[in-house]
Amino acid sequence: MPLTILLIDTEENRARALEDKLSQSGFARVVRAEGPDLAQAVERAKPDLVIIDMALPDRDALEDIRAVSAASPVVMFAGTDDPAFAQEAIAAGVCSYNLSGVALQDVRPIMASAIALFKRYHHVETELAAAKALLNERRLIERAKAILMKNRKMTEPEAYRWLQKKAMNESRKLAQVVADFVADVENQKRESKP
Amino acid sequence: MSEVVALKNPRSGTRLRIGFLRLTDSAPAIVAQEFGYFAEEGVDADLVEEPSWANIADKLAYGFLDAAVIIPPLAFAIELGLRGISQKLVIPCNISLGGNTITLARDLALQVRETAAKNGISTPHALAKCLAGRDRPLSLGIVHAYSTHNLLLRYWLATAGLEAGRDVRLSVVPPARAVEALQSGQIGGFCAGAPWGEIAARAGAGINVASSDDVWRGAPEKAFAVRASWAEENPAALKGAVRALARAAQFCDAPENASYTGALLSRQKYLGVDSHAILSSLPGGAIAPDNQSRFWRGAAMFPWRSHALWFLQQMARWDLIGNVDTQALAARVYRSDLYRASVASLGVSLPKTDSKSEGAHAVRWELDASPNPIAMDPDSFCDGTVFEGAPDKVTF
Repeated sequence: MPLTILLIDTEENRARALEDKLSQSGFARVVRAEGPDLAQAVERAKPDLVIIDMALPDRDALEDIRAVSAASPVVMFAGTDDPAFAQEAIAAGVCSYNLSGVALQDVRPIMASAIALFKRYHHVETELAAAKALLNERRLIERAKAILMKNRKMTEPEAYRWLQKKAMNESRKLAQVVADFVADVENQKRESKP
Repeated sequence: MSEVVALKNPRSGTRLRIGFLRLTDSAPAIVAQEFGYFAEEGVDADLVEEPSWANIADKLAYGFLDAAVIIPPLAFAIELGLRGISQKLVIPCNISLGGNTITLARDLALQVRETAAKNGISTPHALAKCLAGRDRPLSLGIVHAYSTHNLLLRYWLATAGLEAGRDVRLSVVPPARAVEALQSGQIGGFCAGAPWGEIAARAGAGINVASSDDVWRGAPEKAFAVRASWAEENPAALKGAVRALARAAQFCDAPENASYTGALLSRQKYLGVDSHAILSSLPGGAIAPDNQSRFWRGAAMFPWRSHALWFLQQMARWDLIGNVDTQALAARVYRSDLYRASVASLGVSLPKTDSKSEGAHAVRWELDASPNPIAMDPDSFCDGTVFEGAPDKVTF
C-alpha cells in the first residue's frame, strides 16, 4: 500500500522532479496541492504525509491542528532521536508533517529524497544569483570607468585605479563603491534636467 | 596584516540570530539593529525575516535561531513540545501591547455596524445577530493555532455566545494571503497583526470592526523569546540585547518618530509594504487611530507574570494545552528578574511586583514602581472580567 503524499511547492520544476522520483519508487502516490485552501486540500487528498517548501507562509495553515487532522500532526521528526536529520531538512528548506501516524522509518527515505532535491535546487539558485551579481558588477565597473574617462579625462587604467583607491580609502567593497558612484552620477544627471 | 583585517570590517560581539515576521511590531528589533543599539551593547545581531510562525518555531527548536519576536502562546507551545520537539525558552521582556485587528469582509462589516447601531448592542453581539440566519458557519482566519489572535478572537466571540467550531469556523490563513482570501470568499474575516488589517481596508476588501484593545485594553502582543541555553551561556549579551530593545522601544513609542519608523519598516528587506499602511498602527502615526501598538509607555516591556498566566489559562480554556502546572511554567518562562537586571543601569522605573490585577483598571491609573510611579493605560476586558493570575505577589 503506497503512502499518499501531499506536495506543496510552488517551484514547478522541483515539485515535478520530486513527484517523478517518489512515484517511480513505488512507495508513494504524490498529490499536488491546488488552490490556497490547504485544509481543504488535506481533506480531499487524505495524505499520510505532507511535504512543504519552508519558504511558503502557508506552512502556518498546516499547523491548525483541528482543521488538518483529528490527531495532532507530527512536525518533521518530532519524537525520534534523530535531530540531525530534521536539521538537515531545515537547512535544505523543506519540512514534513506526518498526519496518519505512519512509521517514521518509512517516511525517512521519502524525506531524504526531498532533502536531496531541495539541496540541489538551492545550490543551482545560489550559483545563478552569484553569476548574476558578478555580471552586474562587471557592467557597473564598465559604466563607472566610462563616466570617469568622459568627465575627468582619465585613461581606462587610471579610472580603474581611481575606483580601487576609493574603495580602499572607504574600507568598502569595490562593487558597493562602484554601484553608489554610478547611482550618484545618474541621480545628479536626473536632477539637473529641467 | 592589521590593515587587511580592518578592510574586512570584522564583526564583533556575541552573535544573536533573531527571527521576525513582516509585522509592525517587529519595529523595536529592527530599530535596535538599524541604529546600532545591539552593536553598542556588544551584540552582533542577525535579523532573519521568516515567512511563517512555523519556521520561527522550528528554527528555535533546532537551534537555527537564538531568539525571536514571537507570540507568547507559541513560545509556550515550543517550550511544551506541542508542535514539534521541545526547546526551553525564556522571555526576558515583552515587545508590544495591542496591534491586532478583527477585520470582516466589507458587506458583513457594514451589516454588523448597522445592526450594532440600530439595536444599541456591542459589535460581537451584532455579529451574532447577523450570523443567526446563516446556513453555513462564517469562516474566520487566524495566523496560527497557538497565537494571541486565536485567543483574543475566541474570547471576543465568546462574550456574545459565539463558539469556534460551532458558530464560526476558524482556519489558519497567513496574513499576507488574507486580502485575497477575503476577496475570494475563502474567509469572511480574520484576526491578524498590523499592518494586515489596514492593508485589507486599503484594498477595499475588509473593514476593521475591532482591535486588540476592544477585547482587552493593552493586551500583551509580541514578546522577545530566547533559547534558555543561549541565555545561560551569554548572560551579558542577553542583558545587552534587552537594553538595546528598551532604547529602541522608547524611540518607536515617541509620536514624533512615527513617520521615520514607518519608512524604515516599509523597506523591502523588512515589511516590504506601503509605509502609510504601517504608519496607522504606530504610536502617533494616525490622527484617529483604530488600532495601535505600544512599545514602551505603561511598562509595555515588562514581562508580567499575570500576562503569562492569562495566556495559559486561555490556552487551557480552548483545549490547546493539557494538564500543566501553569504557575511553574509562567515563572520559568516569563523572567522579570532578567528584565530588572538588564535595564537597571538605564535608570528606568520598575514595577514593585511581578503580577498585576488584569482588567481591574477601566481608566488611567498609576502603578507603584521604583524610583517613580509609572503612568498606566486602562487594562479592562470587554466583558468586565478581572483576572487575578498569581496569588503570591512578591514585592520588590
